[in-house]
Amino acid sequence: MIEAYPLLAFALLFPLGMLLACLWPMALLRMPSYLAFAPIPAFAAVLFVSDDSPLVVGPARLHLTFALDLPGALLLGVAALLWITAGAYASPYLQGRPNRGRFAVCWLTALTGCIGVFLAADMVSFYLFLAMLTLGACGLIIQHETAEAWRAGAIYIGLGLLAETLLLIAFVLLAMDIPGNGLLIGDAAAALPTSPHRDLIISLLIAGFGMKAGLVPFHVWMPRAYAAAPAPAAAVLSGAAVKASILGMIRFLPLDTALPHAGTVLAAAGLFAALYGVVIGMTQRRPKVVLAYSSVSQMGFIVAVIGMGMIAGDGRTALAAIFYSANHVLVKGALFLSVGVIAATGRRYLLPILLPVAIIAVGLGGLPLTGGALAKIVVDGPLGDGAANTVATLSAVGTTLLMLQFVRGLVTTVSTDQEATAAPSLFWPWLSTAAVSLIVPWALFLAVPEGMLPNPLAPELLWKALFPVLLGAILAAVLWRWVRRLPHIPEGDIVVVLDRCAKIAPAWGKTIEQAEGMLRQWHVAGISLLALTLALGATLLAQ
Amino acid sequence: MPAATALEATTADGALLVLAIILPVIGILLSFVLGGRYAERIAGILLPAGLGVACIVFLKAWHSEKSLSYIVGNWQPPLGITLCADGLSVAMMVAMAIVICLIGVFAHANFGSRAVSVETRAPMVFWVMLMAISGAMNMIFISGDLFTLYVALELLTFAAVPLVCLDGRAETLQAALRYLLFALLGSILYLIGTALLYGSYGTLDIVLMSQRVHLEPATLAAATLMTVGLFAKTALFPLHLWLPPAHAGAPAAASAVLSAVVVKGSFFLIVRLWFDVMPGLLSVAGAQLVGALGASAIICGNVVALRQRRLKLLIAYSTVAQIGYLFLIFPLAADPLHLQYGDALTGGMLQAISHATAKAAMFMAAGLVYASLGHDEISELGGIARALPMTMFAFGLGGVCLIGLPPTGGFLAKWLLLEATVATAQWWWAIVIIAGGLLTSAYVFIVLSRAMGAPSEPLTLHAAVPKYQEVAALGLALLSVLLGLVALGPIDVLQVGRPEAPMAWLR
Amino acid sequence: MNAATLFGLCGAALVGIGLYGLITNPEPLRKILAFNLLGGGVFLLFGVIARRAAVAGLGGDPVPQAMVITAIVVAFAATAMAIALVQRLGDETGRASISSDSSGTGDGEEKS
Repeated sequence: MIEAYPLLAFALLFPLGMLLACLWPMALLRMPSYLAFAPIPAFAAVLFVSDDSPLVVGPARLHLTFALDLPGALLLGVAALLWITAGAYASPYLQGRPNRGRFAVCWLTALTGCIGVFLAADMVSFYLFLAMLTLGACGLIIQHETAEAWRAGAIYIGLGLLAETLLLIAFVLLAMDIPGNGLLIGDAAAALPTSPHRDLIISLLIAGFGMKAGLVPFHVWMPRAYAAAPAPAAAVLSGAAVKASILGMIRFLPLDTALPHAGTVLAAAGLFAALYGVVIGMTQRRPKVVLAYSSVSQMGFIVAVIGMGMIAGDGRTALAAIFYSANHVLVKGALFLSVGVIAATGRRYLLPILLPVAIIAVGLGGLPLTGGALAKIVVDGPLGDGAANTVATLSAVGTTLLMLQFVRGLVTTVSTDQEATAAPSLFWPWLSTAAVSLIVPWALFLAVPEGMLPNPLAPELLWKALFPVLLGAILAAVLWRWVRRLPHIPEGDIVVVLDRCAKIAPAWGKTIEQAEGMLRQWHVAGISLLALTLALGATLLAQ
Repeated sequence: MPAATALEATTADGALLVLAIILPVIGILLSFVLGGRYAERIAGILLPAGLGVACIVFLKAWHSEKSLSYIVGNWQPPLGITLCADGLSVAMMVAMAIVICLIGVFAHANFGSRAVSVETRAPMVFWVMLMAISGAMNMIFISGDLFTLYVALELLTFAAVPLVCLDGRAETLQAALRYLLFALLGSILYLIGTALLYGSYGTLDIVLMSQRVHLEPATLAAATLMTVGLFAKTALFPLHLWLPPAHAGAPAAASAVLSAVVVKGSFFLIVRLWFDVMPGLLSVAGAQLVGALGASAIICGNVVALRQRRLKLLIAYSTVAQIGYLFLIFPLAADPLHLQYGDALTGGMLQAISHATAKAAMFMAAGLVYASLGHDEISELGGIARALPMTMFAFGLGGVCLIGLPPTGGFLAKWLLLEATVATAQWWWAIVIIAGGLLTSAYVFIVLSRAMGAPSEPLTLHAAVPKYQEVAALGLALLSVLLGLVALGPIDVLQVGRPEAPMAWLR
Repeated sequence: MNAATLFGLCGAALVGIGLYGLITNPEPLRKILAFNLLGGGVFLLFGVIARRAAVAGLGGDPVPQAMVITAIVVAFAATAMAIALVQRLGDETGRASISSDSSGTGDGEEKS
């Protein structure tokens, strides 16, 4: 097989090089048209690299290591596909809009960060690329520069940096536990179960990655950010970027060792988010916000799967969660892109587009023969037969309901021009994402050796998948027929509470400012100088 | 300590150290002799030459892994004076020389002598003082004797004060006077300390002193007085009264020098004092007290920075906060109970260097914004990012370094400091480090969001900004970002010439 | 009480008076004078140390004496610089004070 080094290096260096090329104004001007090419080397690396021999950059003392392990390769592959199609979609989308150059720069930053995180095999490079991803994503969210976008960006970067600082402490603690000077994630995860700070580290990791994954109550950034971001950006953020947190959990948490307490917490938090996202999402009207709440729910579900894996100490859970994530990457990406396509389509040509959208959307709820149903089969084992499975079924019902709600909302956004059709340059990238989102899960599923997983075409499995979908559809019909008005909950629900807290903060700031002003008076400073001398002298003499 | 006695001889190339000090002095004298209109040209030759010397010294120390030293006039201490460049000195020398050179490039637009044949005062003062600061900093970094350090410190102050009031406006004069008087209070405390130490040990040579020093009241009193005096000069909270008006009022190039370079001089001296002159004498409670001051500087400085309406004042308060980080190394590195000695010190020095580059870039950016808008009200910055994209990019990069995102130098510094908090089980400092980073990100985000927003009325630019000024700011900002990569190379140079273990453990 | 102790006490008293003046006096000029008093106290301290550490046969240890001369030069330069600043400030505003804003209540408003 092909040597891993050059391909891995090229996968990272190519988008990075494009990013650096943006320093040159001429290149910056053209860059929006070439965004689709940036992730191609990464995709090639996924296809052609078979071994996970690492790429090491830097001298022995402190180096960056990159490798393509199986979870990383799966996610990177589908994420690269989404980045390619969304990049192709972005170039006509940006035509004639302001800040094209900035969009390209932020896009490439986020892309490099995303690829880097999926490839990172040591903590420093993981953290480095995660930060890049956050910064780039923040730039994409504020693209439209509306007040709403700025607020969304502020909340996103605030929570993102908070999450990263929590992770940083966790990484530092982990680094102390690794024997020797290495910083490899694999070593860290291996050393974690026996670490003296085990519980602290796991809490920090769960909190940090949980914030990034949008676990309730840290989900507030998601609805706002995805609603504010341009459609292609929302597609890659909700599809690809957010999966960095899932990959982080899988790489850092020791899934091979049973950790029932932490696992229960994680599973409970995930399942709660899975239901919460659906319930709040039902009250929303804008399609992008509905999709964002669906992301809250789906991410919660994936986290719950990981949590169940931790309870059982079953290492195979990782791949199940990754499979589910991979399906979500493509489906969510296709759905976000469809928002833009539908908005440019008139009533007359609506149906041919709406139908695949509806199939993909309901597929998320587990419609048989779609990737969603396959994903549900894959995670069925790790979820077990207990309460978690019941909640999972409930969430499937809810997701169907929510997705129908999304499709219904989508219809109201069609172009006012009856005859309008989406430009081919918007239409084809969307269509290919949609097609890929139906095909790739099957391809991945069939790649699993026979006998490991049940046959998805078996009648009882088909019924098992169909039944929640039918239930959801009936519920939706009931809801639309008889319930006139659902309560309206503001986008980002509990962010309102946050806003109220934010009003108290200035008062504190003012108090500190006043105190500081007093300290700056000459005689006060003189007296503090003397007091400090006495205090320092006392502490020194006391030893 | 046999290693120390071996140092008391001129090493090969020790003469380079003398050159590092006298080059700027020659420049100053030449400027007076030839006239102020040549000052810029002289500085233009001598500052890069100083950088070259610093680089050579750095490379020699790095490769030989030994300190360079020079005994002036071959008079052995205690009577003679030694110059000694260990790892800390050479790293700081190079970093400061680079920053000063780039500031010189930036200042060409404001203080360039151009073709005018008449001598104007501000440019002459600026260039002469810039050279004086460069010389004084080098002297602080390589002096091996506490009294020479006092003289260097005073030189530094006297060179810095005129920079504050270059434009001669009343409020900058006031700020300069405040600065001068408070700094004098600080230096007099340092002088009392020197007198007490000489009275106790009969020498002021650092190496000899570190062999003789022991716990006794006079020594501790001297150490206290010197430390607090240096706190006043470093503007450690709550003794920072002079810093915000002085740094915010000065012209951009001068602010950059003051914030990036000058405060590091007195900080470096505190490090010398506690890690070289009296290693291990800092009690646990004392170290915690210094750390607490640093922590309150971080929190208070950042919060007050968040509430500023003017960009330059915001940056000045951010300096107050960033100085706080430097003092966290005392509880983290000087804790005699734990063996984690090197990492926190390395982290602190790296923080000093990355702050120098990032803050200089930010002050330059603020100066360019001021020059083109005619004001620096943060709420009125709308549209400036479109008018001066490179400048605001430099500001943003500097901000990223202060926040401590990878791969910046600030990140590496914080990583090392955090590692030290874990190793010494002092988690409370970790909380402060983290909270400081978040507060920093808040004000950087506010400034950038204002700058990228739409202007309330069409933007009228007062003056065109020369490209090279933007490039200088961006260069410094990129430097601060790439500084994180020193981890891949010469970071170990900071440990050159450091004893394996502090003396206190051997007692 | 020998001469060294007496001079030491004198130095301490000067330092105390100087510190008090430097901190409490609102007028810059008086602050400068107080700084000089403070400096004088420290120079006396150097003198005491030179005297105390004197070995037999010498009038005093020459090293502190050399240092005190340097310190006096430095203090003189500092004073000159401060005076120049005060004078310039007076020229600009008609008064000289170092209170940065109106909130500094303790600092004086008198002309220098």
